Amino acid sequence: MSSSLAFEHPWVLILLPLALLPLLRSRRDTLAFPSIAWLPPDRVGRIIGWLWPVFAVLALASSIVALAQPGRPQTQVQRTGTGAEILVLLDRSRSMDDRMLPANWREIEPTKLLYHLGRGSQKAQVARQLLSQFVARRPDDRFALMYFSNRPLSVVPFTQHDAVMQAGIAAGAVGRGLADTEVGRALIAAIAQFDQRAYSGSRIMLLVSDGGAHLDEETMQRIRAGLVRNRIALYWIYLRSYNSASLDSTDARWENAPEMALHRFFQTLQTPYRVYQAEDPESLSRAVADVGLQQNLPLDFMEQIPRQDYSRVFLAIAAFSCAILLLYRSMLIRSLP
Amino acid sequence: MATSREFHYRLPRRSGGWRPGSHPGSSLGAGQEFVSHVSLYDRPDPRRLDLRASLREVRGDWLVRVNRQRVSVPVHVIADVSTSMSFGFPRSKLQVVADFVIALGHSAFRVGDALGMLAFDDRERRDLFVPALVSRGIGEVMASMLAGCAGTAGASDGLEEAALHLAGRPGLVFIASDFHWPLDRLDEVLDLLTHAYVVPLVVWDPAEAQPPKHDGLVPLRDVESGGRSTLWVRPSMRARWHDAVGRRRAELNALFSARGIRPFYITGEFDSEALSHYFFEATA
Repeated sequence: MSSSLAFEHPWVLILLPLALLPLLRSRRDTLAFPSIAWLPPDRVGRIIGWLWPVFAVLALASSIVALAQPGRPQTQVQRTGTGAEILVLLDRSRSMDDRMLPANWREIEPTKLLYHLGRGSQKAQVARQLLSQFVARRPDDRFALMYFSNRPLSVVPFTQHDAVMQAGIAAGAVGRGLADTEVGRALIAAIAQFDQRAYSGSRIMLLVSDGGAHLDEETMQRIRAGLVRNRIALYWIYLRSYNSASLDSTDARWENAPEMALHRFFQTLQTPYRVYQAEDPESLSRAVADVGLQQNLPLDFMEQIPRQDYSRVFLAIAAFSCAILLLYRSMLIRSLP
Repeated sequence: MATSREFHYRLPRRSGGWRPGSHPGSSLGAGQEFVSHVSLYDRPDPRRLDLRASLREVRGDWLVRVNRQRVSVPVHVIADVSTSMSFGFPRSKLQVVADFVIALGHSAFRVGDALGMLAFDDRERRDLFVPALVSRGIGEVMASMLAGCAGTAGASDGLEEAALHLAGRPGLVFIASDFHWPLDRLDEVLDLLTHAYVVPLVVWDPAEAQPPKHDGLVPLRDVESGGRSTLWVRPSMRARWHDAVGRRRAELNALFSARGIRPFYITGEFDSEALSHYFFEATA
């Protein structure tokens, strides 16, 4: 890590010689006395007499340096992780605000299911909660976060800083869901996130969604080519809503459901694809845990360390020195008699 | 104001001199102090014929009383006008000395003594020299000269130079100074003034003799050397301050008392009563 120091406004340093002003001994800040020789020597007083100009110089110098804004310039650092690059693509559509079924929904009478449905927790909320646990459990992975609805919203670019990721996930709770579920555009945008990045470890795209879409041929082509080009494994966590298609059913009435269409398209991909169907919070957490087990390969990447500003430190020194000077001033005796 | 502040002084010992005055003298003449009887033929002064003594005289001589004349002595002030003397609140030490000189002018004129002044800082100050004069207003003149002067750092060399003018002459010499200079040469100065009666006036300001009342930091600048020192005034410091002043006082006392001289301390205002007492104690 480079520890070099650079100034944002180096010309301010021209003022630095001003910091020596307190060393000029002015008559004003002393009291005339006929003969110092006959006074008793006072070591503490002498040390204080020496120290206060030092603090005055320190206060001026560090204020000037703080004005020049010193800092460590922005750098890039090579880091090695053991995890994967995981892009989380989270559905932000209105349907994600619907509630999930309780864990024992299979035992509940179908007539009372709607009642229990009203009391479950929101899909988006459960998904966010689990994702944040998932992110917290995998500190070595690099994460990126995108929301999508009728258009993709890039929230967090690839980063290893969990705090940023957690904040991004938490931001999903702001407001209500948006109108639509445009999986195709979202996938293309998500694949584009991997473009221009050196391949440094396994790549996963984690699509968390409760619905599918009919994709046109061109979109399918672009997605297929993009996944191959960037070597991305696709994991789809399908949050099944009450009364919507189950991906493994062969029932004819689901034949044209968008979820089924999307699933069938994903199955035709050359890249790895896995689907987890989750009806309730427990099955969702199982799905997330399963994804967590999948990819654990070493990963090299460059990380940008942002410019770090040191002016606060200098301001603190200046403030401290000023406080000492104030204390000194408050202790001064202004006249002898 | 000036008249009320004058003080009384007599020399405790005889001085030579011919000018009649009020101090005990060694010359014979018109005075109250009886010395002896002398034959009228030796001293043809029939006014002083002592009939009773003449009758008692076996040889039958006419005897004349011989008295000692009281004399006046020249009084000199050797004033320290160094920078340290301009220190003092609310009146500088130099102003206190000027007060003393005014009082002395009146006192000296009243007893008929001539008053002169010499001044010194690191050298003798010729510009402040006043020869010994019997003049009514000489005290005020000398005081105004002192009040308006500016000096440099003080040194015993200056005192020595000034004292050379008075070397071997009888009289009364006041040395008004704060004695903030090395005292090692003071002995030699006093040697020069052996014939005179020396009264050292040690003028100190309360602000230097006593530490500040409040605790705190005092950044000090020596007015003579320009040296700096910061003192943290606290109870232990105050005690040491008093000790230091006491040590200096003891040092001066030891130096002067070796010659039978008692210094007169003026701390703050000049007190003419106290100076009268000083002389009463000396002559008693």
